[in-house]
Amino acid sequence: MKALSLEYFKIRRKRIWIMLTLFLAAEMVWASMSMSISISRNASNASWEALIFSISSMNGLFLPIISAIVVSRICDMEHKGNTWKMLMTTHTGRNRVYAAKYICANSLILYGVIAQAVFIVGFGWSKSISGDVPLSLLLQFALGTMLTTLVIIALHQWLSLTVRNQAFALCLGMLGGFIGTTSGLFPSGIRHLLIWSYYMDLSPITYVYNSASSYYVSGMPPMGLQIASLLLAVIFYSAGKLHNSKQEI
Amino acid sequence: MLRSISAEWLKLRHSRIGLVLGILPVISLLIGCFNYYFNQTALQNGWYSLWTQVSLFYGEFFLPILIAICCAFVCRLEHANHNWNMILASPISITNLFVAKLFTVGMMIFAAQAFFMFMYWSAGQLLSIPGAFPIETVLWSLRGWFASLSIAALQLGVSIRLKSFATPIGISLCAVFLGIGLYVLNLGLLFPYSLLTIGMGVLSQKGLNSMENILFLLMNSFFILLFGTWSISRLKKKDIASS
Repeated sequence: MKALSLEYFKIRRKRIWIMLTLFLAAEMVWASMSMSISISRNASNASWEALIFSISSMNGLFLPIISAIVVSRICDMEHKGNTWKMLMTTHTGRNRVYAAKYICANSLILYGVIAQAVFIVGFGWSKSISGDVPLSLLLQFALGTMLTTLVIIALHQWLSLTVRNQAFALCLGMLGGFIGTTSGLFPSGIRHLLIWSYYMDLSPITYVYNSASSYYVSGMPPMGLQIASLLLAVIFYSAGKLHNSKQEI
Repeated sequence: MLRSISAEWLKLRHSRIGLVLGILPVISLLIGCFNYYFNQTALQNGWYSLWTQVSLFYGEFFLPILIAICCAFVCRLEHANHNWNMILASPISITNLFVAKLFTVGMMIFAAQAFFMFMYWSAGQLLSIPGAFPIETVLWSLRGWFASLSIAALQLGVSIRLKSFATPIGISLCAVFLGIGLYVLNLGLLFPYSLLTIGMGVLSQKGLNSMENILFLLMNSFFILLFGTWSISRLKKKDIASS
């Protein structure tokens, strides 16, 4: 707990919250523009399902890059300040610092996901979307997004802490964003191998289109994928922690 | 000046930045080709259709972020171990220092563009696209590179100002979306990130007439001078935050 509070203490002047809010604001402006255009073309597009699906698909592009930036900033300060040596002289073990950084990064993204859920409700009310606010769908959306984020942050933390040069971690973030955006083009067999596509795959809304019609289907995301992402998070986290603890400073 | 440039190259030794410069165009191209291959019935315009698929993500998202990564990368060593103090105390002019960094980033982006064009040509050959290779795409790529210089001038200023490696890249991501917005509003000539979209013919393959081409070159030159002057005068007048 102390290690975690120290992580927040270390980033208190780094303005990561503000940066995250600005990135999400850019995403939300884009989402609201695209939804407004879509509703003006066809009033039937004004549905909670369409709104949640639109945010999930945009998360595939934005969240990998945002996660890479957040994790890089949290990890790079230890490289820049040569603070690992200092940390090793204290009672706090390397694994505890690793866990604190992981929780800190995830909590920052959780703040972003909650902000997205609030945006969905706010935008839905402003456009007078019919029906009650689908709390259960919003909860599943947040859960699916966070499950994917757990894996992606574990992967980035591993890379950002073991490779001093943050260009590689940010490059991976960009590749992730690219794969997340284009994942819809891949067959499901390939898509399920790419964690960045899980923002869409773990969304409670699916868009089904065939030659005759296209419509949104809501339902619980596949349990197998949820378990797979949890397992991947554990694997990447453990591998990163082990690698980091064995690495010479 | 030449010594400043060679010093910049020396700093890039063993950095494996070439890996980053190579991976992003390759992935953009692979997915673009994949999409082209499976949608050939809808994409009937040969080489130009392939260009729309391969350049969309590369020109719109990844090239601006790649420029930001390169700019942050060439400033990375100066931000570490109080190196700014050493650099600013050495007998080289700040203008030389900035121009050497801009030149280095320019060469890196030129290499990425050349690699991208080579792969575009190879992909076209592999997919047996009928017709001759369109020379306009080389011009678009060169125009994209020139627009990259104005983005690089801005990003270099930001990367010199900020110690963080990741923040300038985040700023670049936000600027990309602002650039798309301005392009849609037909105000693309007023923002370097939209100039890249216009120059590379990413969203429209109509091509620019000679007047538009001159305007494009003038605006880019103006932005390079503006951001260059801003960064140089800031380095001359303000204290640098060295860690």
